[in-house]
Amino acid sequence: MFKLDRKLVIAASAITAAALFAAGCVGGESTATPSEAKYQNGKVTIDGGVYYPVVNGKTGPYAVNTQSQAGFDYGRVPTANELKAWDTDVTPTSPPPEGSGSVEEGEELYEEQCVMCHGDFGSGGGGYPALTKGNAVKGQKSLTNQRDKPDNDGPIRVFGTYWPQASTLWWYIQAGMPHPNTKSLTDDETYALTAYMLNINEMSIDGEEVDEDYVLDREKFLKIKMPNEKGFEPNIDGPTALDDVRTYYANPTNFGAIKVDPAKRCMKDCQEATSKVVRIQGAGISDFLPPISIVRDLPKEEGAFDPKAAYESNCAMCHSSFLSPGSSDWDGYTGKGIDKVYANGIEGTEGGMPAKGGSDLSDANFKSVVDYLISGK
Amino acid sequence: MKNENSQLEILSNDNTPSSRRNFFKKTASIGAIAAATALSANEATTGDDPLIMHHVKWGQKLGDPVTKNRYGVPSAYEHNVLRRNTKLLASGNFQASIAVTPIHESMGIITPNGLFFSRSHGGTAHVDPNEFRLMIHGEVNKEIVLTLDQLKRYPSVTRTHFIECPANGGQEWRGPQFNSLQFAKGFMSSAEWTGVYIKTILEDLGLKPDARWMLAEGSDNSEMGRTIPIDKVLDDAMLVWGQNGEALRPEQGYPVRLLVPGWEGNLCVKWIKRLEFSPEPFYCKEETAKYTALKKTGKAIQHFYANEVNSTVTSPSPEIPWDGIKVGDMVEIQGLAWSGMGTITGVDLSFDGGNNYVEAELKGLILPKSWTRWSYIYKYEGKPLLLTSRAMDDAGYIQPTVDQEVGVLGVEGVYHRNGVETWEVTVDGKVNHVQIRS
Repeated sequence: MFKLDRKLVIAASAITAAALFAAGCVGGESTATPSEAKYQNGKVTIDGGVYYPVVNGKTGPYAVNTQSQAGFDYGRVPTANELKAWDTDVTPTSPPPEGSGSVEEGEELYEEQCVMCHGDFGSGGGGYPALTKGNAVKGQKSLTNQRDKPDNDGPIRVFGTYWPQASTLWWYIQAGMPHPNTKSLTDDETYALTAYMLNINEMSIDGEEVDEDYVLDREKFLKIKMPNEKGFEPNIDGPTALDDVRTYYANPTNFGAIKVDPAKRCMKDCQEATSKVVRIQGAGISDFLPPISIVRDLPKEEGAFDPKAAYESNCAMCHSSFLSPGSSDWDGYTGKGIDKVYANGIEGTEGGMPAKGGSDLSDANFKSVVDYLISGK
Repeated sequence: MKNENSQLEILSNDNTPSSRRNFFKKTASIGAIAAATALSANEATTGDDPLIMHHVKWGQKLGDPVTKNRYGVPSAYEHNVLRRNTKLLASGNFQASIAVTPIHESMGIITPNGLFFSRSHGGTAHVDPNEFRLMIHGEVNKEIVLTLDQLKRYPSVTRTHFIECPANGGQEWRGPQFNSLQFAKGFMSSAEWTGVYIKTILEDLGLKPDARWMLAEGSDNSEMGRTIPIDKVLDDAMLVWGQNGEALRPEQGYPVRLLVPGWEGNLCVKWIKRLEFSPEPFYCKEETAKYTALKKTGKAIQHFYANEVNSTVTSPSPEIPWDGIKVGDMVEIQGLAWSGMGTITGVDLSFDGGNNYVEAELKGLILPKSWTRWSYIYKYEGKPLLLTSRAMDDAGYIQPTVDQEVGVLGVEGVYHRNGVETWEVTVDGKVNHVQIRS
């Protein structure tokens, strides 16, 4: 059972209506669905919102079964091996396993498995996130930039300039990358790619520049200090974290919210004299798929399959910059025959090609897209 | 005179007795009648609607057997009511992307499961429910693994809540961009969810005193994860397997997702596999690199939980304007209001972009952390309008103006934009998305 101080929420039977109303309702005139700014332990809610205690068998408008719900003990205890297999998060307090990898190895892996989406040296492209914009410490200074005027530069939010913890990078590379073939990198490979990321973000560890010869291991990894570590609010670390978050959201000004006595809200002449209508600039964004229509008719018969259109919607994100339609680079891939190219495309490859590019094309249609990619027509 | 199947000839007002007898004889003789036939051809005049004067084409032949469509599908005529996407909102491909809900076509406060917005970070996973395992571990007195059947044996609750991506409206900090309700506000949907409160499961497991945070981790390609504070876990966070009376759709995390009522949609981790309780937060990618709101001070808000009070006019909309409206026509201006911090208590409507407001009326069910419908009956005066709605909730919040919100946060926050929204209605009933700035 919970310790008493954990009892933010306890069984309905323990609450009396009298205690509830003594605590007072916030903003509501109705007693039918009381809402409170505080939990039953007396602390204000953590998000600045309200809490709906169970009163007379109801939470807000919902009836609840007020019988004890203790004693449900389904499931089994996981084995030590099962816990080890799944408990793989890497956090500031839960470091990565032992291992090591060099910037050089990282670059090699990057060129094999990452460049087609993240671009040369992490420059981004095809809509995938850029991994660097040069020197991390310098870039971090851009976070106060505001594009509130047309010619202003925006803030740089990449790994080096923005992320507060390096643990996030290690964890994410291993759990979520490479995107089409996740959870396929070894610990050493993950260290190598992490080292490469530090290198292209021009970062240092413990005063030592992560240059092309750098070899990263766990000990060095734990010394990484991210330039923007202190760039976030509220505090979420340590034993006071929950109360720090609570205090933060108790002040609407911190997060751009406004509280008002409903009786005193502005109903007349609310605007400045300088108020003006701002319209969408140019055509705005309207490349909607499919285009917006509210017509009620029967769907048109599907036309003949168009490999170029299928390429545009399924493949162009990566293949516009890598093995693009008609590119001579294809020569290096067609040597084992077209059937091998088809098979690799349909089944996917470790090199990063997802099966059928993640599309749901039929094999026949997919092959005609491959033909288009190779020939460019 | 040929009468067979020609609607034109049937409408020809040729009602001599012989001709009519001839007509019925002939039509009966050809058996099946594909085109409409007259109900009372002798009374047809040019002012009559042929759709009323004639049998409709689906009215005289057998319809589908009940054995067709063992799982029903919408009318073929509704084929344009779809989730839509745009390349702007894709991280490279359409696996790390979002498809948004056509809320201009939405009715009531429930989104049909097939139209519920879909956001994933590594594509929609297709989980075999027989291979589903949920591990709950860390700072609990008893760690467990559950199968799906075991999870579903816990006492269930059913609740109606919206789920909103905190980037809803987030493309418009620097000015309006989407002339579309679907894209301006459709990064959200609402459903009636069925599942178990996590606090119910914890009755058996017991939390250790240092359990301050809970990691929720998905089993999908991206292993999407988020850290949830224990306060919310012990309030109303749920593990849900039911969506509008049926199993979750794959796009919503089949077979089980986390539901964190009112909070950012990405916290409602789909295809869930693991809950770990811990003294310290986890610094997942999607709570550091993304889903943090950079303020103009250069500091970013992290762990930005609740979607604040918000509203929009849904009728009219840029997609469904007041075509052909005339002075004196009665119209119902309708909209949605919602708050992740509580229950909607009121909505004001302005016809001049937020300078003067009148009170609109709430209608239907008014539920906590739920879409709430509002309405205002209006007689069209033929003048251009700037329709702005402004909602309030029982936590005491009211929507800020665009100026107020940008004044505090700047324009680079991406997430949690809830400043009032304005539709410009032109004299010919067209609707444009605009903002009022000073």
